[in-house]
Amino acid sequence: MAHAIKFHPGMALLEQYAEGTLSADVALAVAAHIDLCPHCQRLSQDITTDLAGQLAQQRVKKDPHDWSDMLAAIMAEPAMAKAELQAEQHKAQRAAYEPIVVNQRQFMLPRALQRLASNHGKWLTLGGIATAKLPAGGEHHVSLLYIDKDTEVPQHTHLGLEMTLVLSGKIADENGEYCAGDLLINSPDDTHTPRTLANEDCLCLSVLSAPLQFKKGLTRLLNPLQQFFY
Amino acid sequence: MLKSVSVPRHDRVPQAITDTRDPMSGQENATASQWEDALTFVALQRDKAAYAELFSYFAPRLKAFGMKMFGNEQQALEMVQDTMLNVWKKAALFDASRGCASTWIFTIARNVRFDMLRKKQSRKDDISADDLWLNGEYPEPQADDEAAQWDNQLLSEKLAPHFAQLPPAQREVMEKVYLQEKSHQEVSDELGIPLGTVKSRIRLALDRLREALDGARN
Repeated sequence: MAHAIKFHPGMALLEQYAEGTLSADVALAVAAHIDLCPHCQRLSQDITTDLAGQLAQQRVKKDPHDWSDMLAAIMAEPAMAKAELQAEQHKAQRAAYEPIVVNQRQFMLPRALQRLASNHGKWLTLGGIATAKLPAGGEHHVSLLYIDKDTEVPQHTHLGLEMTLVLSGKIADENGEYCAGDLLINSPDDTHTPRTLANEDCLCLSVLSAPLQFKKGLTRLLNPLQQFFY
Repeated sequence: MLKSVSVPRHDRVPQAITDTRDPMSGQENATASQWEDALTFVALQRDKAAYAELFSYFAPRLKAFGMKMFGNEQQALEMVQDTMLNVWKKAALFDASRGCASTWIFTIARNVRFDMLRKKQSRKDDISADDLWLNGEYPEPQADDEAAQWDNQLLSEKLAPHFAQLPPAQREVMEKVYLQEKSHQEVSDELGIPLGTVKSRIRLALDRLREALDGARN
């Protein structure tokens, strides 16, 4: 990637991601960021090594549990050959996922999103904005958000957590400009008006824990439509 | 700037206990490469004695981890069994040149636990551990000389208060490397922790210090 990613998940998020305690939908946004960001790849690897070290070094009380049955049952199973395991791994990694097509544009998604996105919901379009849900389950709403060039998302505030990962193109708001790989996290206090540039559209992953609320003048009429964004 | 956001979490893994001698389980002073060797024997020869040794060390520790995460023994044991079965069946994939045995086992346990929780909610079309965590490695990023770059600044007074606030396990490693000028290998031998753990603690500490200094990360 030619440009540097400027907005990363904080250490606390990375730690919970590595530990596996982050809620799955938030972890998905973090995982997709990591796919795009070598800096966070290394950090999360380091955190994982550290957590594993702590696991291995913890003291445990003498356990009355009798492990011999479990041990015997496991060793009765055949171990798999290296070639077989590698073939399995390659197959999983090479599953050919099609690029995502929206507004006659094609986008290749980061690894973490490919399987889920291959099964995304129907694109719903409103003005220059289109959204498609990912079948992610869980308590947050996970969707792809496409914003055509020169388009403004009406000013809104967040009833919950909003995470936006830029997957392609650029988007700007009152606080700055975000490029592919940048992860924006907006809490309930933040109000912003994201927009695309005149000559570049944008594809994002959006993870929302509650519907957006529109703030300004006539756009408040959009509030009945907030389910569209959620 | 972006605001930090608190995200609900379950339990925290406790701070590292750097003393690896463990009279309670009869396992004295695990040397840094003991588990890598054992796992390699399992990988190459399906060595049952080596596996039994690994099992008797890791199973109780995984169970403690599972108890913390699930809060009940039945699921904790299910996680141990699934994890250790994977260790047995897939040992051939372990490559000691790419990381510690403990890291390999930990990531298997983490993924097993994650998928157990998701399955419990019985959703077919759902985020899985394989989506979240790459099975394998990202291509190697550029040369790792950030540590050197930070040497000088580490010694400056500006850092001292932040240094004191590092997590104890990281501070201990940092003190040995930067104040007592020991090599990573010496620190590894002295504390009885794998070399990779020494290196990653250093990098984590450096990142914390950087974050404390310029608050660049959100």
